[in-house]
Parts: sequence; structure tokens; C-alpha cells
Amino acid sequence: MIKRFFRLVWRQMNVQLKIRIFNQYTVLLFFLQPLVFSAVGMILARAAGNLAPDLVYTVIGGGIMGMWSGLVFTSTWDITRDRLYGTLELIVGSPTSLGKVEAIRTFTNVMAGLVSLAAAFLAAMLIFNYSLAGANLAGALVSLLLILFGLWSIGIFLANFLVWSRLSDQMVEFLELPVAVLCGFMYPLRILPVWMQDISMIFPIRWALGALDECLSGSHDLAVLGLQWGLALGIALLFWAMARWLDGKVHDLVRISGELNSI
Amino acid sequence: MGSRFAVEARKLQKEFTSRSGFWHTKTKTTVAVEDITFRVNRGELFGLLGPNGAGKTTTVKMLSTLLLPTAGTISILGFDAVKQTQEVRKRIGFTFGGARGLYGRLSARDNLRYFSELYGLEPDITQRRIPELLELVGLSGRGEDRVETFSSGMQQRLHLARALLHDPELIFLDEPTVGIDPVGARELRGTLKELIARGKTLLLTTHYMAEAEELCDRIAIIKQGRLVALDTTAALKRSISGDSLIDVQVKKESLPVLKEHLARLDGHSSMQVLDAPPFKKISIRTPEPGAVMQLLAPFLNPDFIQGLEVRSQTLEDVYVAIIQGEPA
Repeated sequence: MIKRFFRLVWRQMNVQLKIRIFNQYTVLLFFLQPLVFSAVGMILARAAGNLAPDLVYTVIGGGIMGMWSGLVFTSTWDITRDRLYGTLELIVGSPTSLGKVEAIRTFTNVMAGLVSLAAAFLAAMLIFNYSLAGANLAGALVSLLLILFGLWSIGIFLANFLVWSRLSDQMVEFLELPVAVLCGFMYPLRILPVWMQDISMIFPIRWALGALDECLSGSHDLAVLGLQWGLALGIALLFWAMARWLDGKVHDLVRISGELNSI
Repeated sequence: MGSRFAVEARKLQKEFTSRSGFWHTKTKTTVAVEDITFRVNRGELFGLLGPNGAGKTTTVKMLSTLLLPTAGTISILGFDAVKQTQEVRKRIGFTFGGARGLYGRLSARDNLRYFSELYGLEPDITQRRIPELLELVGLSGRGEDRVETFSSGMQQRLHLARALLHDPELIFLDEPTVGIDPVGARELRGTLKELIARGKTLLLTTHYMAEAEELCDRIAIIKQGRLVALDTTAALKRSISGDSLIDVQVKKESLPVLKEHLARLDGHSSMQVLDAPPFKKISIRTPEPGAVMQLLAPFLNPDFIQGLEVRSQTLEDVYVAIIQGEPA
């Protein structure tokens, strides 16, 4: 059973990457997009008089921004493409649940985004001489894993809406910037109005990113970090549970409406 | 589950509700399938015919668990298609006509590998099945080529290979030869016959009457969502009045005279006038072709009759008669 699951994960990732990375241009995009975000972040920070810009809100924020944009657009396109190719109903008509397929796809997209983040980070270390000296690396790693889990849980949650109705494409794409703004990918959340900070509490990435900032600033305060990690994990699990619940509902709804094959 | 029927559809109904207006407040309900009941025996090749929009694809999609019926019950190989969806999905294969349903940027082999994983096939089975199936559908030399480089016929054949990956007992084929050239269509029909010889059950929808006549054991005809005929090809042909069909091509200006003359036909024969530019065609269905020929004899000259053909009824004649509303 477990072996079968991992075979499915491997095959799905293989197919997805083969479809996406079909020429050098797409490979270039993987690295180019986060580099652009990071460079812009750094230039803006320096223009604002910050001579030693915060690593999280420039390089890593840029990388996460790239991951989030990639996740939104690729996940949207994955489902739109399947609807267009007529493969969506073939997947639904197979014994493997669409929820499982979408979970693996979103995981692939998040992992592909991680490659972009790593590229941006390496560039920051080598070109802009950023240093991790004094950072809580173990804590940063936990925070990063929670960011990935948070992105994945939101991705599978949104995938249900994309399957449910082709009209939801634009809504999901519209969420790209508001979520990035609300989660404070490229600046500290404290500069946002309080009401916006309140809204951002529903996103697990916001908490995980906050913890990452603390860890890279050298914090080892487990009370502060634990609360942020706990909230990130709890909210991500809530998104995951809602995605699971929606999966069954959407499976029935699309079979009533006939939306699987509508283009 | 030991049902002797591969498919049992009872009082099947499907309605689609569409919404319009900015707030989606206006609703419109369309009945796509209404009160359809039929059975398909195991090992049978069953044809579902009907004009565009008649409800064939909707019916196939309900049978293959892709759509939920609004009313009625479906049993597939003894399993309830609504409640035991997973059990049904493991045992059926399906293809939908046209070029859609494959990943064009992947090779034929990668497409098949992916779908074999979705069907939970063990690697050793996949490794054995893929070359076998590529051979069966005549694509053994093209396994590593991207599907986007394939012709429509090759893509259709690959669809069939995909549907057969998990060795299903029952296969739904929705217009499998649409868009394929005659040679490709003939090869595909050969493959379908081979599947029947291997004991599979096939449910086929098609627009091509010759194809249905050549392949199907029994045929159901759907019109405006309702089942209007169901029988063997031979019985369907017998159900139409007369055994022979006489097609007479006449000049337009001669049509009234000839029609008046042919009004003497006995009550067992029927006549239909069709366009056949630049002429008109009188199609006469009759149990006594000799008597009709005698009646036509005085007009057998180029001023009246441009062409004449006496032939047996084909499935197409039956189909046209039923679809155009003549009593079957």
C-alpha cells in the first residue's frame, strides 16, 4: 500500500515536471522569477535607507513570493489544462481519488518552488554576501518546513474550487497578491494596519514566516517560536481538513453538474 | 458479483441545470436523458446510436460513473454505479472520441505509465502490458514519441490502449472512430472484434451506421434523450415496412408527374422525396420491388429518370426512419 503510494507520487511528479519543464526557457523561469523578486526587494530596502536589509523580507520573501505565485498559477493551470485536454474526467474516472492526485501535484509545485528559493538564497549568499552567522538554523529549518506545509495546505484547499467550477480560475488567481500582501512576504507585518494584520491570522504561512524571521535574527525563544509554529501547523491542518471534506463534496457536485469536461 | 448482465440501466434520467444572469438567479433545466432502460449482456458488443445531442455521451458518462443520474439505477457488472463507484471504476475502461484525453507533451509510453499508476497496476504488470497494448493498437514503434506528433487515428488507438491498461471486463467507447481515416477506422474495428473474441463486453456509440451494422450484436437508438428502438440489427431492419428500397433520381420538373403516378402504390409501400442536387430523389420502400419496377417502366427514359438503384434496407435506412419519426 505504502509502496504503491510512493510509486504514484513518483509517477505524478515525473509527469508533471515533464509537462512543465519541456524546454530551457521554463527552467530559466524557475530561477529568474525569485531572483527578480529578491533583487527588487533588496533595492527597495536599500533605497529606504536600510543598509543591511533583512534577509527574510528581501531574499527569502522574494523566494516565497515566487513559490506562492508559482503555486497559484501552476495549480490553476494544471487543472485548467486537464479540463482542456479532457484528462480531468479520466483522472476522476480512475480508482485513484482526484484529491490524492491534487495533493501530489501541489506537493510537486511546492517542491519545485523550493528549488527557486534555494537558488535565490544561494545568490544572496554569493553575490550580496548575506551571512547566516548567529541564526537559529534548526528553528529556521522547522519554520521553512511549516511554510512549505502551509503553502501545500492552501494549495489543496484552493484546488477543490478549481475542480468544482472553471469560473473559479480568476478568483484563485486574484488571491495571489492579496495573500502575499497579507502574509507579509516582503516586509514586516507590523507596518500593516491592525485590521489587515487580523485578517492575515488565518494564513498559516504568516505565522511560519514570522517564526523564520525570528530564527534568522538569532532567536531561540521557544515560547515565542512554539506559539508561531503551533499556529502555523494548526491552521495548515485546518486547511488540510477542509480540503479533505471539500474533496468528497466536489466529487459529487461535478458529477451532477457535468463540469469536468466543460471548457 | 455474478450478474449475467454487464450493464443494467433502469429508468435512467439526467437533468442539467444551468444558471445565467449576473447573480446566477435565472435557472434553466435541460433533460438530457429520460427514462432509459436497457441491459447489455456479458461478452456482447452493444451499440448506442442517435443524432448529436440525443443523450448518448451523457448515458455513457453515467454508466462509467462520471455523471450522477438524476433518477434511476445503474448496475455495472453487478455493482451499483452510484454507491459502489470505486468497485465499478476498477473494472471498466472508457474512451471518449476526439483528440482529447492524452498529454500531448508526453510520450505514448509515459501516458500509459501514468494511467497505469492511477489504476494501481504493479510495475511488472505495467512493463508487460504497455508493449502488448502498443502492439495491439499498432503503435509499437512509436512508444517513445510525443503524443502531440501523432495523427488523430494514432491518438484514438492510444486512447483505446489506455482504456485497456487494467484489463477491464467492460469497455465504453464513445465515438471511437470519429475523425479517423477509413483505413485507421478499419484497423480500429479489427481491434474491437479482437477484444470481443477475448470475451470483453463493449458498449459503443457511433454516428457511422456501417460501423454499427458490422460490429454490434444489438443496437439501441436514442432520440431526444429517450430510447426509441432496441434490438438486433436484423430485427431492426425487419421492423421497417418492406424489405427493399428503390432510389429513383428524377429531374425536378418531372417530379410532380412521377409522384402522381406513384400514388398508385399499394398501402404496404411508402415513398419519400429527398433532395439530391441537381435532381430530386424518390425513395420507395416496398415489399414488392418487381411491382414498383413495372410501375416505373414507362418513365425509364432520360427525360424523367436519371438514375435508379434497387437495394436492401440498411441500418442507416432504419435509423433515418426512426429518427425522422416514422413508426418503427
